[in-house]
Amino acid sequence: MLGRSDWYDIARDTNWTPSYVPREELFPPSMSDPYGIALEEWESFDEPYKVSYREYVQTQREKDSSAYSVKAALARSNFYDQADEGWASVLKLHYGAVALTEYQACQFQARMARFGPSPSMRNMSVYGMLDEMRHAQLQLYFPHELVNRSRQYDWAHKAQHSKNWAVLGGRHAMDDIMMTRDAITSSIMVSFAFETGLTNLQMIGLSTDAANMGDFTFSNLITSIQSDEARHAQLGTPTIEIMVRNGRKKEAQQAVDIALWRVWRLFAITVGIPMDYYIPLAQRHMSFKEFMHEWVIRQWDRQVRELGLDTPWYWDRFLDDIENHHHCQQGGIWSWRPTVWWNPPGGVGPKERAWLEEKYPGWNDSYGRYWDVITGNLLNGREEKTHPECIPIICNMCQIPISNRPGPAWKARPYQRDHGDRRYNFCTDVCRWIFDTDPARYKDHETIVDRMYSGEITPPTLDAVLTYMGIGVFSEGGKDAHDYAWAEEFRAQAAE
Amino acid sequence: MVLPILSRFQEDAHVKVVEIEPGQTMAEVAAACAYHSAGVHVAPRPGVTLRVRPTTDGDDAEPWPPEVTAEAAGIKVYDCIDVYFEDS
Repeated sequence: MLGRSDWYDIARDTNWTPSYVPREELFPPSMSDPYGIALEEWESFDEPYKVSYREYVQTQREKDSSAYSVKAALARSNFYDQADEGWASVLKLHYGAVALTEYQACQFQARMARFGPSPSMRNMSVYGMLDEMRHAQLQLYFPHELVNRSRQYDWAHKAQHSKNWAVLGGRHAMDDIMMTRDAITSSIMVSFAFETGLTNLQMIGLSTDAANMGDFTFSNLITSIQSDEARHAQLGTPTIEIMVRNGRKKEAQQAVDIALWRVWRLFAITVGIPMDYYIPLAQRHMSFKEFMHEWVIRQWDRQVRELGLDTPWYWDRFLDDIENHHHCQQGGIWSWRPTVWWNPPGGVGPKERAWLEEKYPGWNDSYGRYWDVITGNLLNGREEKTHPECIPIICNMCQIPISNRPGPAWKARPYQRDHGDRRYNFCTDVCRWIFDTDPARYKDHETIVDRMYSGEITPPTLDAVLTYMGIGVFSEGGKDAHDYAWAEEFRAQAAE
Repeated sequence: MVLPILSRFQEDAHVKVVEIEPGQTMAEVAAACAYHSAGVHVAPRPGVTLRVRPTTDGDDAEPWPPEVTAEAAGIKVYDCIDVYFEDS
């Protein structure tokens, strides 16, 4: 019997010459390769992670067995009865944001499996497609048993069918980079910028914290998923190498720059906020900023340059955003907590604030001032003042509230663009730049705020917006995870 | 007629959508914006006058006189204004 190395490359690289239809009809450029790179170049595509179907099935079966058996073991314990409500919020946020996005990723992989110009790319994408299907099924099944504890877990299945503002943010980004691009561009955007660049955030960041919490089900689940990501993320690297070698560096660079920023803006919320605010202090293993620098900035940037690309043009802004964006959004999400499907912890008691100041020097003089006002309202019987009666303006690209450092720095400002008969508001010059790369692509989308004033949400009131977003329909909206216990710690501290 | 404008209130973390009427004076516009920021996300400063100016890249526009109406100032839908404390 032949050893795998004797037949693998031939089997993987076997291509055929169509005779019934022209190649352009079989692989339309708009779905396959819009850059006109020669077929011989694509046939040199060589990803380092070689696996046969038999090996793939065997490995995946073992991974599934492990994930399901850990889940079954933990289900017999009373972990979820005793888990901190902050951790429950991490799970609700994660499952709602991620579960059906995995099905989208399955379709993205399927597009590469069908329209990838290289036979080895198509081969690997079949495994990627099966990976993503497994991820969706796991992340729908696991939260399902928790629905009887809280209907908020039902957003794992419902979120992507809703018009919740946070979902619109995820969907806008994934539609952009994953669902509506050709096989080549999306492989750069998703496999390289998204999966190589940022999904480590989940594996090492969230997974370690989950183990510290004692949630071995979630820790094992995330690790299991990430082991797939590490394999199929390899699809992006040879794509970029071929693009650069064939004079398409500019286009590859733009795809990387757009996608990294788009996914970063989301990941800072889904991972950064949990790491620095939702997970109890005793179980945090490192700050989000420390994690980003150790696992993303150093490694990913080096990889970009080794591939012949440049560091994204907005790198300084990105480094600043690592110390800023998720702090602002923690404030915003907590303040407008009835609009989300989880219960956001404040996470800013005396000890937590000391930790935040240590990890993010200057935190107290900026975000701290914002929370001082909120804490004062809570301690003085003005809970109603912690619920804003207006809405923040939303970025027309990332769909996230336009925010920036509060306090003396006072950095929040919209970056505007007038196009056609509309005015667009952006959170940063980066989101505005993405719009400028292709206004026709983005111009017709409306943020939740635009929808209030275009007549889609009537009357344009907060109550009508909540219903429009599925709050009170699928589940109740969010409330403070710990019933303001963190604020009471200041009263106790003052009494000592 | 309701005019949704963007309130960039001094020291706030968020740019907020505030509904005003074209006939409101800048003093009234400042008060409308303060209602959603001062005492909510920004420490209130009783007795300190608020001023309003158009938002610019250099944060250096001249404030409008308090008696000028939003309509006379030419403020349109989604225009962004800075609302800041006079002594800052």
